[in-house]
Amino acid sequence: MVMGTLDKLAILADGAKYDVSCASSGVEKKNKGGIGNSKAFGICHTWSADGRCVSLLKILMTNYCIYNCTYCVNRNQNDIPRASFTPREIADLAIGFYRRNYIEGLFLSSGIEHSPNKTMERIYQVLDILRNEYHFFGYIHVKVIPGADPVLVKKTGLLADRMSVNIEQPSEQSLKLLAPQKSLPAVLAPMNQISDHILQNASERRLYRHAQKNKFVPAGQSTQMIVGASNDSDRVIVKASEALYQRFQLKRVYYSAYIPVNDSPLLPALTTAPPLLREHRLYQADWLMRFYQFQADEIVDERTPFLETDFDPKISWAFRNMHLFPMEINRASYEELLRVPGIGLISAQRIISQRRVAAISYDHLKKIGVSLKRARYFITCQGHYYGAIPVEAGLIRRALAPVQKPVQLTLF
Amino acid sequence: MIDYLYDGSFDGLLTAVYASYYEEKAQGIFPQAAYQNNFFVPSRTVETDLVKAEKVYHAIERKISDLSLKHIFYTYLSNEANKETKILNYLQLGFKLGRQIDDLHAQPEVLPIRQTARKVSFEAERFLGLLRFKDTGSFLYAVLEPDHHILILLADHFADRLAQERFIIHDRKRGLAVVSNCQDWYITDFPEEIGFTYSEQEKDYQELWRLYFSQISIENRKNKKLQTQFVPHRYRRHLTEFTTGYSDKNIN
Ligand code: SF4
Repeated sequence: MVMGTLDKLAILADGAKYDVSCASSGVEKKNKGGIGNSKAFGICHTWSADGRCVSLLKILMTNYCIYNCTYCVNRNQNDIPRASFTPREIADLAIGFYRRNYIEGLFLSSGIEHSPNKTMERIYQVLDILRNEYHFFGYIHVKVIPGADPVLVKKTGLLADRMSVNIEQPSEQSLKLLAPQKSLPAVLAPMNQISDHILQNASERRLYRHAQKNKFVPAGQSTQMIVGASNDSDRVIVKASEALYQRFQLKRVYYSAYIPVNDSPLLPALTTAPPLLREHRLYQADWLMRFYQFQADEIVDERTPFLETDFDPKISWAFRNMHLFPMEINRASYEELLRVPGIGLISAQRIISQRRVAAISYDHLKKIGVSLKRARYFITCQGHYYGAIPVEAGLIRRALAPVQKPVQLTLF
Repeated sequence: MIDYLYDGSFDGLLTAVYASYYEEKAQGIFPQAAYQNNFFVPSRTVETDLVKAEKVYHAIERKISDLSLKHIFYTYLSNEANKETKILNYLQLGFKLGRQIDDLHAQPEVLPIRQTARKVSFEAERFLGLLRFKDTGSFLYAVLEPDHHILILLADHFADRLAQERFIIHDRKRGLAVVSNCQDWYITDFPEEIGFTYSEQEKDYQELWRLYFSQISIENRKNKKLQTQFVPHRYRRHLTEFTTGYSDKNIN
């Protein structure tokens, strides 16, 4: 059995690797008489050679696909080795890996073989075996196939921890251009359905204690956007994310730097390097919206539709809003502190908590975890300014300009 | 002032703290086994006393805080030099200030405890992921060589996760193991290297995992430095995906 499995695994893991969402976080579950549990903080099991956290067995059910999306390795017209797993093969592989603590759970995605419904049905079968036969309580994330019957989507969602519908392109035009068989309404419909079920399920659970045995996707839904396959600006992307977060209560939007896999006049040349720094800046912008109370319009306004590459979006925002600085550390509110470059969520909280006991000196800030390299130009501490140069965007920019090539960081 | 020597157990350490308050004041506390005699400071070995230890334990909980207790316990599990004396200094300040101490991150008595506790919990969390079990046919077996003594922080997690399985988690550095017999676990001496035999199926899964591991990396995004930062070389000898087997061309 194993050689067959090995060959299929080679093909179907390869086809799944471009999907960047890999987190297992967001749901805390105990083992109730089977195998597995889930930690809300998420657990990385190893890091691959590209430095990314490996948490889930990320795999395609099949890489046969009836569609022909321009940017995708698995598109119909590509001449590549193809394979399909049976639902049982995937379930056994997931359990075998899980028992050995290789993984936190399963992330199942798929090409569209025969039809959206057939494909969705097989995804459901994997979950049925894992949850109802193996009594698996670990993490499962499944991709929803746009166009699949809502009934199938619903029963799959009752067994999954997270579901995602990938929007892939941030605007309707790019989607039309690059994925002509998909349409924005077809992608948004299941997102909407999932969001409705989540809300409905939550209120039912509040009203009747035994309403539903299972929570509908307790870790919520997410989506992914490919960055750099189309010409959309960062503003279009960040605005799209904001709208998705608001409209469908998404837990995460993932950004994936486009890696050229196909030759097409509609796409960047095959030799184009994936825009990793741009992807990184988008994650930072996303982070500002989710945790630092920033609006998309503050991060990328009409006049600056692209994020700066040399500076992170928070400091870029500060440069455009110098009239707010310097801020006095001992007086600024929590919300204001969050806007200071070099102060993070934890250091802002620590400043607030320590301030209740004693005034904060400049010396304390470093121990609290503030990055003074940046922060010192934007704060005063007990009335003193430590920046040594005037509080002026141009000068601070020069002082903070990156010396070498920016290092690629990653957030997973 | 004298140096107290204790037997290395957490209760022993708390007994020494007790002695410092009710008998002679301590200059420092050291594990008996590693103590370097200092001619200028007299020393005394404390006999671990569970009643006294319990009193100190509850006093920390009630008069300082749960959080402080946790930080102290994690520091005790660390391999930090002079950790006992640092704990003593922290407690002396803590019994003066009470709960407030949790907000004083920058204090010289507080910072080292915080930092050490963070290192220990970081390593423990990391091993929730980095531990690898092998199936011997009758139980699962995992080996690790962590910097800190984190076994006790791993046990509950795996006992819940693998509730239907018997398993052994072996800290080879310290000659200790967690042995779990379906949800009930205990820590025991485990000094010997035992050569278990593994089934064909076990080897198959290892091969599948190595293959998977080499497949998922994206060539255009290679970043070995980042990988090394997350998976330091010292951890790799017990990681299936970093040890040779089926195809080792992508493994390093
Ligand atoms: S439907 Fe999915 S798998 Fe098929 S070509 Fe489009 S992106 Fe690729």
